[in-house]
Amino acid sequence: MHWIALQPLPEPPAADDGSAAGLVDALGALGWWALQFTPKVAQVAGVLVLEVSASERLFGGRRQLLAQILEKKRPVALANKARAATSLIAIARLQLPRAAPRQPDDLPLATLLAAREHLPTLARIGCNTWGDLRALPRGGVVRRFGADLLDALDRAYGLKPELYPWLTLPQVFEARLELQARVDNAPALMFGARRLLAQLQVWLQARQRGILALELGWELDARRQDASQGQLIVRTAEPTLDMGHVQRLLAENLARITLHAPALYLHLRSLETAALPGASASLLPDDVRMGDSLHHLLERLSARLGADQVLRAVPHADHRPERMQVWQPASSIASPAPNQFAAKSVANYANSTGASGQNGSQRSAKTAVKQLVKADALYPTWLLTQPLKLPVCDNMPQCAGEGGPLTLLAGPQRLEAGWWGTETTSPALRDYFLAHSGQMGLLWIYRERLGGQGGGEQKTDACADWYLHGLFA
Amino acid sequence: MKTPSIKAIKPLESIAEIWHADELAMSQGQVTPTGDAALNAQLPGGGWPVGALVEVLQAQSGHNDWRLLLPALCHAQAKTAGVLVLVGAPHTPFAPGLAGQGLDSGRLLCINTATPASRLWAAEQALRCKDVAAVLAWLPQAHADSLRRLQICAAEHQKLLFVMRPAKAQNESSPAVLRLITSNALDSDALLVHILKRRGPPLEQALSLVARPVRLAALLAVGGGEGGQIGVRARSTDSPTGVVASGNRDLTPICPSLPTASSAEVLTFPLERSDALDRVAAAA
Repeated sequence: MHWIALQPLPEPPAADDGSAAGLVDALGALGWWALQFTPKVAQVAGVLVLEVSASERLFGGRRQLLAQILEKKRPVALANKARAATSLIAIARLQLPRAAPRQPDDLPLATLLAAREHLPTLARIGCNTWGDLRALPRGGVVRRFGADLLDALDRAYGLKPELYPWLTLPQVFEARLELQARVDNAPALMFGARRLLAQLQVWLQARQRGILALELGWELDARRQDASQGQLIVRTAEPTLDMGHVQRLLAENLARITLHAPALYLHLRSLETAALPGASASLLPDDVRMGDSLHHLLERLSARLGADQVLRAVPHADHRPERMQVWQPASSIASPAPNQFAAKSVANYANSTGASGQNGSQRSAKTAVKQLVKADALYPTWLLTQPLKLPVCDNMPQCAGEGGPLTLLAGPQRLEAGWWGTETTSPALRDYFLAHSGQMGLLWIYRERLGGQGGGEQKTDACADWYLHGLFA
Repeated sequence: MKTPSIKAIKPLESIAEIWHADELAMSQGQVTPTGDAALNAQLPGGGWPVGALVEVLQAQSGHNDWRLLLPALCHAQAKTAGVLVLVGAPHTPFAPGLAGQGLDSGRLLCINTATPASRLWAAEQALRCKDVAAVLAWLPQAHADSLRRLQICAAEHQKLLFVMRPAKAQNESSPAVLRLITSNALDSDALLVHILKRRGPPLEQALSLVARPVRLAALLAVGGGEGGQIGVRARSTDSPTGVVASGNRDLTPICPSLPTASSAEVLTFPLERSDALDRVAAAA
């Protein structure tokens, strides 16, 4: 049996830079941290005791193990340490200065927890050390002080087994913090949240998991308003241990919240976690790129600007240019796909050649790929979200503003699509042209072929509507 | 004691950090080829500097961005497998068109935000991300100090950074390493690039580039007279120059999607395609 007793020190006055926030519950965090060395960890009256003799072989001997616990691996919180053959002796030594007597018989009775309530009586009968108490007749001690005292003494001397309610890691993290002062605005809750996150990090490390979703809740001063609490749920795309990232996400979200009454308590709960894959280190220093990863960037941008402002294109099978791509919030798409547009256009091309039936069967897939990618190169690079109606003069489209007539360079490329749509979307019957303007450069314009939305009557070329749809920038 | 021989001393010209003001500076860091031989020859190191702010001034926002930068962006994407970030783009990028010119449009990220401060913030965040290959930011109202902030950030993280600003900003001071002003040639499709600031002597005349995909260039060269069905005025000078053709050839390993095509094949395609579409519509 080899017991180690740890007692967390009161934390030093908080540093203002906020880099290392203190833990909410240092004793609990220390217990979770100690579970990596041995399963026998218990809390006894504000002191953490751990029994390590069973783990000695795994860690390569007692000396190695003690070096790991006491020196090498920095504990999550600063703590006093003492070790002995039984837990009660270790706890007693923890309370005494270093130069204190080493023998159990010489330890003062004040260090034995079970003897605390009887201390004045014991002192009056001249009983000051553990040895003095042990020398008294057992029957008399039991009658006078109860069986608990003798029981504790037996356990301290190793005559009875020491059993504690052993600590286990909770499945769900839940911590609560009473704020030191009433907090009136939501961003100021970050200070308390940082301490909760530090605690969460210890729990995640002990479970070797990353956080996916967490809930920060606060309780308001009930006297002011009906709504007495509020909460904020923050999610990340990939499991993370990086509390800096979670902190930034929380801060962005808290900045948009107004508190109706001063907040008194904060609590943090883990909603979803996932096993954390190990990161492989690189042999060459060049391979290590600085900076944070893409999903961190996407989440930070989406948190501040809104998810619908950070977009990524997803290809869509349609002939109408405005529907060839769908812009979706980037944070909702899992990973950047390889060039989907090329693959999509190959499929389109196969369809069109099949329908035309001229020589579609003779062409190999390879030429189809080549043809289609070339067709893509004739598309413009910018697309106008709303086609811009061009003024028409003398049957020729004019440049918007006072640009003068446009020079048509190539076309028409006929497009007829969307006739299968519902009432709300009118079919697209367009002739696309490539046009040049002195001011704007190359433009992609189209002419509405049949009246468009204007009812059933067919329009002739003379009064057709012209629209600007794209720019070759 | 051995005295160092004269030969052992490096000539000053071979040190990259020292350059005569009347000569073009040598490469001080990584560069990305611009895809155009004429432009490469005029830039220090022979390409766009990586890890520095490049300022592109233009009369109208959104014009000529892609034809100037696309080859370099394709190159950067191919090299680093990173994402291309557009901050405050003036229009919607058309992904099939960009994919046709070799850009991996799946790795294109568009950040639409209107206020200048949030554009700067988003650009800076993108520069700090390790999975980003290049950042294009449209910053019409940026001040020199905020540009300097971006410049430092780009240098720290070694990213390709292009900032588009209006042409009227050309008289303001700027921390950019390279400043260009682009405009359209009035009578042709050529792109005029005037280098305002570089590490080297000032360049008097503007460079004329025709950075178009080969098929588009061939289509323009014929002038649409045969391809179009309606009467179209013939264009005066629009044949691509030899310089540009060689510049495009530089790109072929990067953009294998641009094989040289005969002009006949080029011209028949739009008609054939529209024909096919008509048939689809008629059959259904």
